[in-house]
Amino acid sequence: MAKEKVDVVIVGSGAAGSNIAARLAAGGKAVKILEAGPDRTNDHLVSSGLWARRLKWSGAPVLEEGANPVGHVFNAGQGTGGSAMHHYAVWPRFHPQDFRCRSEHDRGLDWPISYEDLAPFYDLVQTESGIAGDAEREVWRPPGEPYPLPPVPLFPQGQILERGFDARGMKTAPLPLAVTSVAYQGRDPCIWDGWCDSGCPIGALANPVTVDLPKAFAAGAVLETDATVTRILTDAVGERATGVEVVNSAGERREVLADIVVLAAFSIQNPRLLLASATAQHPRGLANSSGRVGQYIMTHSAGLIYGLFKEPTQSFMGAFGGQLVNQDGYEKTTHSDSGAFGSYQWMIAQAVKPNDLLGIGPTRADLFGNDLHSFMKRAARGFATMTAVVEDLPVADNKVVLSDDQRDANGVPLARVTHTTDPQSKSLWDATLVEGQAIFKAAGADEVWTGPQGAMHIMGGTIMGADPATSVTNSYGQCHDLPNLVIAGPGLFPTSAGVNPTYTVHALAARSADHLLDNWGSAVV
Amino acid sequence: MLQNRRRFIRDSSLGVLTFYLAGCEVEMTAEQAHRAGVTRQVFNEAEAEALGALAEVLLPGSIDLGLVEYVDQQLGAPLDQQMLMIKYLGVNPPFAPFYQGGLAALDQAATAAHGDRFAQLDSAQQTALVAAVAQGQVENWSGPPAPFFYFVLRNDAVDVTYGTKAGIEGLGIPYMAHIEPPSPWGQ
Ligand SMILES: Cc1cc2nc3c(=O)[nH]c(=O)nc-3n(C[C@H](O)[C@H](O)[C@H](O)COP(=O)(O)OP(=O)(O)OC[C@H]3O[C@@H](n4cnc5c(N)ncnc54)[C@H](O)[C@@H]3O)c2cc1C
Ligand code: SF4
Repeated sequence: MAKEKVDVVIVGSGAAGSNIAARLAAGGKAVKILEAGPDRTNDHLVSSGLWARRLKWSGAPVLEEGANPVGHVFNAGQGTGGSAMHHYAVWPRFHPQDFRCRSEHDRGLDWPISYEDLAPFYDLVQTESGIAGDAEREVWRPPGEPYPLPPVPLFPQGQILERGFDARGMKTAPLPLAVTSVAYQGRDPCIWDGWCDSGCPIGALANPVTVDLPKAFAAGAVLETDATVTRILTDAVGERATGVEVVNSAGERREVLADIVVLAAFSIQNPRLLLASATAQHPRGLANSSGRVGQYIMTHSAGLIYGLFKEPTQSFMGAFGGQLVNQDGYEKTTHSDSGAFGSYQWMIAQAVKPNDLLGIGPTRADLFGNDLHSFMKRAARGFATMTAVVEDLPVADNKVVLSDDQRDANGVPLARVTHTTDPQSKSLWDATLVEGQAIFKAAGADEVWTGPQGAMHIMGGTIMGADPATSVTNSYGQCHDLPNLVIAGPGLFPTSAGVNPTYTVHALAARSADHLLDNWGSAVV
Repeated sequence: MLQNRRRFIRDSSLGVLTFYLAGCEVEMTAEQAHRAGVTRQVFNEAEAEALGALAEVLLPGSIDLGLVEYVDQQLGAPLDQQMLMIKYLGVNPPFAPFYQGGLAALDQAATAAHGDRFAQLDSAQQTALVAAVAQGQVENWSGPPAPFFYFVLRNDAVDVTYGTKAGIEGLGIPYMAHIEPPSPWGQ
């Protein structure tokens, strides 16, 4: 079998893999990124909700079970840039309390690090990726450097919904977005046309192809697409990862050997690969002496609020992620009297298109025929929306296991993912719907309605922790069992927080890369 | 699916649907395909008829915009080129059995209630049956979960009608593409 040797092999070219690649390559390491999906540049990002569906996951099917499936294909991408290639760049920080949920509330888990450990990396990442926001108006924001870019502008939809928050004595601030509100580091400014879900081809949105991959390539990293990793290789005694086995679409298999293997294939494929790489020394799967590999899969519940207003909302303007944020409900006990637990934030006034799952059409699924036509016409003028990002408590039984009987074309067992929302998280989602509708009414909506409990973002599955008996990796993403096998991505999160994950993915990747470069000798042996 | 990735990479710069017309490949939009009466890849005559009739109830005009050809062509495309919304609604590929099973169930329900296939019912009967499908109130429904089948097909009709440049602009919404779709939906 053909073999190749590099310093670092990275599985996946998404948010985590690209970021760590850029840093390790800049640190002088020979880096190879293997990406299962096709090669894409920003020029492939056609502005169309239909064309954008080609960016979604189309690798090995994921078998989904449980009352609240994670929506893997919707929530995952494939090809250069991964899911992050068409993500919406809502980048808030986690809060200090998110890192100590177990010790403060006897629920969920603790992280092995605190907010203070990550803060310098949040500061670093925001200057590299360019986050627009207003740190002062974001009164809930934990300590940190102010945003490098001025806040995103407010369009009529945002102004109208802001009215509702004002009327209820709630605060709003510009939504923190990794989007260029003004030209930044050679990137053109955003033109607020709402095409982010199709991918931003002008480089306004901080996707991996715009920010991290060019840095990685400039420092000598090599990306190979159509390269699906099927197995992580280990040495004879099972103490070190030695590389990966990779196959292309023609069925040609190779080994890529490396001093450090970084798994950045997102929250479902990372544990799938670990479990599928079992050896005599690791019979339950690699890095799984704790039995935790695959466990604690989390996904934010989306609290979807919709309304129609008399005045024109111009809801086609702005970024797909929204215009404003509210985190008044971030205290985990805000709704405890209704049995709810956890944090949430409102992303307010998303740009919408008429079709697609997050567009106008599906929101009134009860309407069809000419009623639907007339609704579409009214909504094109006066539609508004906002979304609660609702924390999902980690539950061990929400997990990835390997299918007993189904394999992909390469012979790797498919992932089976079970997810049922914890009742306390479900109650929190219920509470956001009540609050959200009241806000829309206070804003003067003629009609208000809500959507189903959608799944947003996939986290957990390879959680970090201080104790090797109850977690998969240390705080740098190094597997407790094989320290030169490093995991990156939201799969590391022990709790999901009530905000979007990808800023924290970057901060963790930056911290890991620094640690690996500083401790290269001890990390690789 | 994996075997098709090479082809996808090779073809991904092409921007129009490839339909099979009288044995030779031609490129056209689904609307043109509908007018030209192209050969279908997946649906038989009865299925196409039921789908067209259903589309007209779900969103009048969508049959002329090429809904039947759109779904048929997309079902025949490799997964990583497919644009049907069903691909991210929790159903694993292949998707043709989902559509075919639902359409067969629709015809069975129509026959059980009115003694004729769905396409042959009058408009009031069709509308009432679609409403029952939407609410999961069809007795002995044999296809995929009825409200979900309704949801998927309804959104396909929305995609064809309001998901294209013409459809979006028709609502008075500026399209503002960074990169114009080379066709309403791709190959
Ligand atoms: C529509 C959408 C909107 C989003 N919006 C936001 C947002 O506004 N804010 C936010 O914080 N987050 C958002 N997210 C989430 C965000 O995209 C993810 O958190 C982030 O991309 C995760 O990074 P990752 O590197 O772990 O995974 P990914 O970015 O998914 O990258 C993983 C890569 O690994 C590849 N891969 C998988 N298996 C293999 C294998 N066996 N061999 C080789 N390669 C493999 C995949 O093809 C993929 O390219 C959004 C996601 C989606 C889908
Ligand atoms: S709204 Fe801004 S970030 Fe989004 S696609 Fe348009 S230019 Fe890019």
